[in-house]
Amino acid sequence: MTLLNVERLTKQFGARQVLSDVSFNVGSGEVLGLIGPNGAGKTTVLECLAGLLPSNAGALVYRERQLSLADRKDILFYMPDGILPWAQQTVHWVLTFFEKLYRRTPAKLAELAGPLRLEEVRRARLATLSKGERKRVLLALGLLTPQPLLLLDEPFDGLDLRQTRDVMTLLRNESATGRTLLVSIHQLNDAARVCDRLVLLNAGRCVAEGTLAELQAQAKLADGGLEEIFLALT
Amino acid sequence: MRSPKFLHLVAKELRELSASRSFWLLLLFVGLLVGHGFITAVGLYAEMSGSGGPTALPQGLNSLDGVLVPTWGAYDLAATLLFPFVAIRLISTEKESGGLKLLLQLPGTMLAKLAAKGLVLLLAWLIAWLPGLAAIVLWRSYGGHLYAPETLNLLLGHLLRGLLSGALGVAAAALTDVAASAAIVTLAFTVGTWALDFVAAGRGGFVKQLASYTPTAALRSFEQGLLRLNALLVIVLLSVTAFVLAAIWLQTGRMIRSRLVATLLLTIVAAGSVWGAAHLRRSWDLSENRRNSFSAPDETLLRRIDQPLQITVFLSPEDPRLTDFEQNVLKRLRRSLAKLEVDYAASSRTGLFESGDDHYGEIWYELGGQKVVERSTIEEVVLDQIYQLAGLSAPERSVEDGFPGYPLAVESRRAAAIFYFIWPLLVIITWWLTNKK
Repeated sequence: MTLLNVERLTKQFGARQVLSDVSFNVGSGEVLGLIGPNGAGKTTVLECLAGLLPSNAGALVYRERQLSLADRKDILFYMPDGILPWAQQTVHWVLTFFEKLYRRTPAKLAELAGPLRLEEVRRARLATLSKGERKRVLLALGLLTPQPLLLLDEPFDGLDLRQTRDVMTLLRNESATGRTLLVSIHQLNDAARVCDRLVLLNAGRCVAEGTLAELQAQAKLADGGLEEIFLALT
Repeated sequence: MRSPKFLHLVAKELRELSASRSFWLLLLFVGLLVGHGFITAVGLYAEMSGSGGPTALPQGLNSLDGVLVPTWGAYDLAATLLFPFVAIRLISTEKESGGLKLLLQLPGTMLAKLAAKGLVLLLAWLIAWLPGLAAIVLWRSYGGHLYAPETLNLLLGHLLRGLLSGALGVAAAALTDVAASAAIVTLAFTVGTWALDFVAAGRGGFVKQLASYTPTAALRSFEQGLLRLNALLVIVLLSVTAFVLAAIWLQTGRMIRSRLVATLLLTIVAAGSVWGAAHLRRSWDLSENRRNSFSAPDETLLRRIDQPLQITVFLSPEDPRLTDFEQNVLKRLRRSLAKLEVDYAASSRTGLFESGDDHYGEIWYELGGQKVVERSTIEEVVLDQIYQLAGLSAPERSVEDGFPGYPLAVESRRAAAIFYFIWPLLVIITWWLTNKK
């Protein structure tokens, strides 16, 4: 069942066309991967969907209802990549702030603490965390939010192999609870392992959409991996 | 606004405030500034109260001019040069760190989120008041006289001054990308208002009216024990406008065109409201020595004049006679007469090179088609001319003005220890306790 339709999303920065008529569907409870080379427009798509950037054209339809800018934060939450919010606060305080703000039970935070190894950085200030530690905290914040659709920008960026595997399991478990995830990933192997379906963006255009098998058929590469498909279609 | 979510946002802003170095620096410096102002003021007050000077001098002494205004003058400086940075930091850090992207998605409207920031800024300003309040308590402990209405009026003036400064800092931070640009915008605004004050001196009309609402000029009337309804409303309206402007420009998901339209609408609504508020002439003289009012019989008589009085002043802005005339006559006439128009006709700034043909030094009074020319700027002489033009008899005037004066020759005991040692130490310890890991 389709949860969200992204229809003809277009974005320009001045004279530069960044997104051109990007359309795709997000199915309920799936992990949808947004893949593409650097500069393809993945982050711009996510920021436009979250209402943090204005789009020049296009619509967002959630369960057959067009979403206004004001409605979006009830439906989706977007966790950007590379941010360092509230740098002087401790990890514990920031997590508790989200927990209280969204009225989440302590059990939810406890559930995340293990896989994201939050206990070891609990008392540290965000400013003192390494890239990977910061990414884990930001993921925890995103997973603490209750919106039915969670957008994650590069959730594995900065994580080592073991942490990447743990986070993938965590995201799959989150999806299994019925929550829908839209993740932008530039590591194609990671994308192939965690996503149910994929949207391939190139130069601001949506060039393909579907499961790995559907993309293989589209690229006419019966046994091709995502890397071969990506190279064939872009 | 009282929902738990709003309280969580307020708690977050409080944490951010306590992590802000600019806030702790404000607290540290404001204590030193207040201390210096207070110790100097008490010393001068003691000198003026002691023997050796003219006997009339101690009788005219009052705590407002002698101690409170110079001590609290530190807050004018703090509101101009320190407090805006506390406000800017609350917005700019979130913009620069990416925290704004999360803040925009948190529950609550943008206005509620800015209200939380505004509330915390107000609290920061009130915390910064602690040295000033300590100075008042010290002054009282020395046996200094305080007149509650004028003291509270002064505090109200500084509250509004801080509110406006904070709001401007927030708006500047919302409109610019980085804190440094916001600081430049805020300082440019402050320098602009100083320039406006300078240009408007000795001028009438719109420029003069506009200049009376610059932060410094508006605060001056509170410092003189005058509560002007229009000044109060204009400052509140400007502060609210600055917060709404910030709310418009922080919503990064809106098209620039849509934000410009909202800004235009806000400007129209704000300009209309400010224009309406500026026309409210109600004011209250809360000074103990009634410096903003004529004597009661004169006030009663002046209120009976309903025809417009036109005054043309041939005195340049730098002529001390114009300052006297403004302070002792025009300011009071503006409060007492229903219709008064003042035209500043001197063509030069200093008046040094004006000839007799230019009527320099003259003041013309026109009422009901009659005109008189006078050179004196003394209150009684001016009033008599006005009564004569209006066909009224001058009232009997009492020789004594009824204000006893409150001379006090004391040393500022314990002040140096409190402001230069205890307060900085307290600030540093509190900063360390709240920010230690």
